[in-house]
Amino acid sequence: MNKGGTGGGGGGPTAAAALAAAQKQKTLQQKVDNDIGNIVDNFSFIVNVARVNDPPVRNSQEAFMMEMRASRMVQAADSLLKLVSELKQTAIFSGFATLNDHVEQRTEELNQLADKTDGMLARIGEDAAASLTELESHYYSSVRTSQIDTM
Amino acid sequence: MDGNMEISVDKLPIKRLESIEENGAERFPNEVGYEERRLNLIHRIDFGWAVDREDSAKKHKKDTSATTTTSKDATKPWPWKSLVENLQAAHQELSVIIDLINTVEVNDAVTVAGMTRPKQLPNELLSDLAVSTATKLQCYRHLGKYFKQSAKGLEQQIAREARFYGALIRLQQNWKVKRHRMAATPGNEGFYIDLFDNSLYDPAASFRPSTMSTVWVEHDAAGMLAINLPQKAVRSLQFGFLCRNSDTAAIQASRIKAVGSDQDPAGECKKEPESDDDCVKNKHAILREVHRAIFDEQVFDLVNREAFNPSLGVNITGIRENYLELNLSQGASVFISLMPHKHEDRVADSADNQNSESALVRSEFFNDSNAKDRTKDPRKKSVFPNRVSCEIFLQQTFHEHVFVQAKKRTTSGGKMHSGQPTIDRSNLLGHFCMSLAHRIFSNKILRELDDLVSRVPYVHLISHPTWNSRTSSWTLSVDVPQSIIYASCQTQKSDKKAKTQFRTKVLVNDCIKVEGEGAPNVVGLFKGTSERICSINRYDCDLADLPMILLQQIASQIIRWLHAEALMVGIKANRDFLCLSFELEQGETLGLVAHVNPEDPLGCISWWLVMDDGFTEEGKLQSQISDTHNRKFLGHLSLDVLYSTLLDLVSLCSGGSNH
Repeated sequence: MNKGGTGGGGGGPTAAAALAAAQKQKTLQQKVDNDIGNIVDNFSFIVNVARVNDPPVRNSQEAFMMEMRASRMVQAADSLLKLVSELKQTAIFSGFATLNDHVEQRTEELNQLADKTDGMLARIGEDAAASLTELESHYYSSVRTSQIDTM
Repeated sequence: MDGNMEISVDKLPIKRLESIEENGAERFPNEVGYEERRLNLIHRIDFGWAVDREDSAKKHKKDTSATTTTSKDATKPWPWKSLVENLQAAHQELSVIIDLINTVEVNDAVTVAGMTRPKQLPNELLSDLAVSTATKLQCYRHLGKYFKQSAKGLEQQIAREARFYGALIRLQQNWKVKRHRMAATPGNEGFYIDLFDNSLYDPAASFRPSTMSTVWVEHDAAGMLAINLPQKAVRSLQFGFLCRNSDTAAIQASRIKAVGSDQDPAGECKKEPESDDDCVKNKHAILREVHRAIFDEQVFDLVNREAFNPSLGVNITGIRENYLELNLSQGASVFISLMPHKHEDRVADSADNQNSESALVRSEFFNDSNAKDRTKDPRKKSVFPNRVSCEIFLQQTFHEHVFVQAKKRTTSGGKMHSGQPTIDRSNLLGHFCMSLAHRIFSNKILRELDDLVSRVPYVHLISHPTWNSRTSSWTLSVDVPQSIIYASCQTQKSDKKAKTQFRTKVLVNDCIKVEGEGAPNVVGLFKGTSERICSINRYDCDLADLPMILLQQIASQIIRWLHAEALMVGIKANRDFLCLSFELEQGETLGLVAHVNPEDPLGCISWWLVMDDGFTEEGKLQSQISDTHNRKFLGHLSLDVLYSTLLDLVSLCSGGSNH
């Protein structure tokens, strides 16, 4: 797999990074061209050998060739697929702007959540205190009176 | 076999019975040698099917040449007849050619000068062409199949990658996903999730990165994310009290886990096909669990660091690997440890685990309810706070004061968060221990207060949440009944408002502070001028004295109330510390004395009526206790009864004075 211009090179100076990126783009494009050319060539060959030849020997020879070409096509397609996955990875890992946006958005959300939770906890505490007061007053006005009566 | 019509059934190439004789003997066909069979075959060709039929040793091995087929076909009646003849002709020609070749091979003298292919007939040409075309078509079909198959494979791969990257993107929104190119195998890229947030920490603190801070992500069979947890199980912080019987349960199971975190990290996806959503959620849950484990490890690390700094309130009494035992000042010992979660258990029976968790909760709940049942003997109630909340408190303390502070410092140049008491960042463990000690101590006080309140019926206990971990506060209030006289003259003198409630505040921070109104203060007592009443009294006391002081306070408040009531009625009454005395005629005084006894199981404040003839000094009151003539035990009176007693006394006094 292509390793030219190892993607993330953010550490270097900008010019070098740009150069590396351009290099990488070039190699990727080259790869795409190669693979697609490969597929087209092989396919046209396969189409071309559709003609039935007179000497049967050649036919079987062509059959072998066809198989070979077909496997080359599949190989090229696989390589394209790998390229696509590499592009995906680059998109995922090098889209720093989106990443930062995400992080900020997430931070914002989480901060809000934390604030909300804090507020909720405070409210729960107040509610509990209020309930405690109420319960205490109920307790002393109900059970205790009966205790007094029995005493 | 009359030669007209005949059907020959092909025999299988295995040995068959030819016939069975009457005596049961089986007859197999004779073995035929190669030569003989060849001869037979040639015979067959040469002499046609009629001869062939009579051949006794027809044999049948499937792998034989086309001639066998011929013979088989030949037996069939019509459609193949011409073909059979053609083939026979071809065979003849072939035999001639073979003979010729053999002759040429044996005899060097003969050389082949030239060979021409016989001119093909048009139909032969066509059939050749047809065969070639058919072959080619077959080839293309084969190719098509191959393409289809590989297309399917590639599609699957695409789908897998789409799933994987989709899930990865979703994880990336919450976690730091990094790419790792392995040098050994180029192209084989790995992903890992970095859970260690190094931007948070003080560089001086030099946190050591946890071994779990990188979690590898891989494809599983279905193309989904598979998270590769390090074999070392996820550990979590545990906290418990050592002197508690129920801690065997506490050691076994630590925390009430969220339901989602009880998932098998590796095999869950394989067990049942679940949607991407669920899978990603699962991974989230696992990562959160790991994250929390890392946090726990860091907290434990910090606790260890602080434990060995000489600091206030922390005494280490035991230490083991991942285990720390501390002694609190209230005679309690706690342990803080890192315990591994056993993944095997969780995989095997996560449901059971949940059951056991809930069982633990239930048992704690029952413990609590048992404790409630035992309110008759509140001393048995445990003074230790809830273990889980202590654990949360420990984590929260460190989170609030180390992690959040560090984060704030990095983001906004350090703005101190106020609200809680300012805590020295270097002594968080000390703060925690002191908070725990305070909690235990305040529980003991609460127990005392509860005990006291349960025995003095007219005293109410009101709790005041302070929202401070090292301060607690309660109020004991005595609601006195409204006086009849006051009620009648309330409309007239609305400005003079009688007191209907007396409060005593108990505040605990480092020591117990009792703050009450309406009691004579001690200085006033020594001066002998009991009338001088300090409106608010403040005491510092310890736990042993607390009930006594409180009871005195309450009793004096009641005395004060009775005094005020007596004055309102218009009777001259003197108030002493816990005694209300009325002057009768001839210098006699009748005293209503409160007797305070914290150990009294029935009611802590009892009342005596004491007759004083005026000669005995107040100091000799004790010696007169034995004298039953001069004093009468009234018992534990409720406020209403006390009030009516007072009115009786008033009528007695006024009656006496009228006399």
